Amino acid sequence: MKKCLAGLILIFSFVTNIRGQNSNICLLKVTPVFGSTNLTLGKQYFFHNQKDSVAFEMVKYYISGIQLLLNSEIVWKDTSGFYLLDAENEKSYSIPLKIPENLIFNEINFLSGIDSTTNVSGAFGGDLDPTNGMYWTWQNGYINGKFEGKSNLCKSMDSSFELHLGGYQFPYNALQSVQLKLTSKKIIEVHLELEHFINNIDIAEKHHIMSPSNEAVLMSKAFSNSFKIAQ
Amino acid sequence: MKRKYTLIFLLLQVIVSAFIAIEKPSFYIPQNWPKPVYNFKRNPINTDVVTLGRVLFYDPLLSKDNSISCASCHSNYNAFTHVDHKLSHGIGDSIGTRNSPALMNLAWSSTFMWDGAINHLDMQALAPITHPGEMGESFTNVAEKLKKSKLYPTLFKTAFQDSIISGERTLKALSQFMLTLISANSKYDSVMNKQALFTEQENNGYRLFKKSCASCHQEPLFTSYAFKNNGLSVDPDLNDYGRMRITKLSKDSLKFKVPTLRNLTYSFPYMHDGRFKKLSEVMNHYVSGVQKSKTLSSELAEPIHLNDNEKVDIIAFLLTLSDKQFVFNPQFAFPKEILLKAAND
Ligand code: HEC
Ligand code: HEC
Repeated sequence: MKKCLAGLILIFSFVTNIRGQNSNICLLKVTPVFGSTNLTLGKQYFFHNQKDSVAFEMVKYYISGIQLLLNSEIVWKDTSGFYLLDAENEKSYSIPLKIPENLIFNEINFLSGIDSTTNVSGAFGGDLDPTNGMYWTWQNGYINGKFEGKSNLCKSMDSSFELHLGGYQFPYNALQSVQLKLTSKKIIEVHLELEHFINNIDIAEKHHIMSPSNEAVLMSKAFSNSFKIAQ
Repeated sequence: MKRKYTLIFLLLQVIVSAFIAIEKPSFYIPQNWPKPVYNFKRNPINTDVVTLGRVLFYDPLLSKDNSISCASCHSNYNAFTHVDHKLSHGIGDSIGTRNSPALMNLAWSSTFMWDGAINHLDMQALAPITHPGEMGESFTNVAEKLKKSKLYPTLFKTAFQDSIISGERTLKALSQFMLTLISANSKYDSVMNKQALFTEQENNGYRLFKKSCASCHQEPLFTSYAFKNNGLSVDPDLNDYGRMRITKLSKDSLKFKVPTLRNLTYSFPYMHDGRFKKLSEVMNHYVSGVQKSKTLSSELAEPIHLNDNEKVDIIAFLLTLSDKQFVFNPQFAFPKEILLKAAND
């Protein structure tokens, strides 16, 4: 019995080894930035010729469904799924992609959130565990991204904003896909440009978004358009 | 030789565990029932997980001030609803806006809440735990409290082979307990299984029921799980438009999920806001109280004509759907052997 098991383990590790040899790690690194600097939570950033300012207290969002493409054809799909990127934890910015050696690609696609099937399939663990605070409760569904902080632009009582973007159901499906053309390939460096995001939403009036709505869909588009290849 | 013994040993184990499984509450599909919709592949029933779920269900640790549990609003003796008030009470005695539904046969349901706000049974528990008017606790904090308790690491270990406490496991355990709440032992079920007979009055009630009510309250679960407007007037204090809140479509205005009619003896008051205390009031509503509106269900567009005797006959039939064994099943009750012992330690 025992011998059999040991044999099996040997064969198994051999097989995985062979597969391991042919694969390569490509690092996807997605860093939130403001202007030309990496984001520091709580720090005040000035923009619009120093007239306006913003400080973020939370930047937390999901990336999923990562694909690599060559001339618009999918050549690799990520099977492990869902990544929660949190500005409180820089380690979460790096996503190792285990791709075959010699894979050639010139584009990356991913979803800035969680697909609708996952949204209706019950409880998941890991990055999707509801204790991460990224799941709506009274009204179901994952929050694709949370952006919280303060800005003089907000017409709220304390200049605060809380943008919880999500929604997987018609007519307010907020999930967006991101497509980026690539130049290098050992390490894919992407920036989430928060200044671009702020400049493309109506943060003065729409400073609190807490459920799926038309506004959440528009903001989700601005969010997904703020991913850029790092120059 | 050795292998043979291992085989015999394995076989014995399967047989023994099968017997244990019969003793404990577990999931089964009653005779002639449809296939459940819950995906058991992602959460296979295991009696130790069910036990964990049962303890969680009865433990007020899940609320912010440790004062209320799921069972506070879903009491087993009331078919897992809340009986003495119209609208369920939560933390600080704030009143919720809806009557808590009776919990049973949940594996056959694809949406939850009166308006279908919840898309999966696993996610249901998050709503009351985090709702400020109900249990008022953050789910992250609940997981922390469970980790720090004396009781739960052991229960999680028994259930999942290691003592990691995660949100996913907590929710799946609560689901497993709720999935075992199967009510299929009423007089109606015995009659259908040819082990009992209806009285003449019940029989007549059954005939009338099939004519006027069964299109929405479909056998054997006594619901179609559809969202329908059954002609209730809008309560001006609550202004609850039901399904429309979720879909934001005007065609869903005033539609609520058709509830099961099993265990009505125990689950009063009735309707999403608990407006009727008695079944006679419900009957009067369907015969003479239906409000016309744009979204009124076509099944109720033509008035239902029933005389007083016929109303009483339908009620007599509805009472055959009550399942005493379900309500008083000790396997569904407060797990005193675990929770009281933990409190005294
Ligand atoms: C303060 C009272 C209260 C507490 C505590 C409470 N519930 Fe509920 N529950 C309700 C109400 C009210 C509804 C219906 C709400 C609605 O439809 O909007 C409900 C609905 C449900 C449903 C949906 C049933 C169906 O058929 O649609 C389930 C399942 C459920 N609760 C489980 C739980 C669990 C598990 C807990 C503990 C974690 C819990 N409840 C705690 C009041 C409560
Ligand atoms: C058009 C579909 C439809 C028909 C037909 C219908 N019902 Fe209903 N019934 C509902 C809906 C929807 C509700 C929940 C309404 C609400 O709370 O807003 C309900 C609620 C009830 C309730 C309350 C259950 C509870 O737990 O609160 C009872 C009892 C009931 N119906 C009995 C009957 C009887 C008896 C008939 C036939 C005379 C009937 N229904 C016909 C749709 C229907």
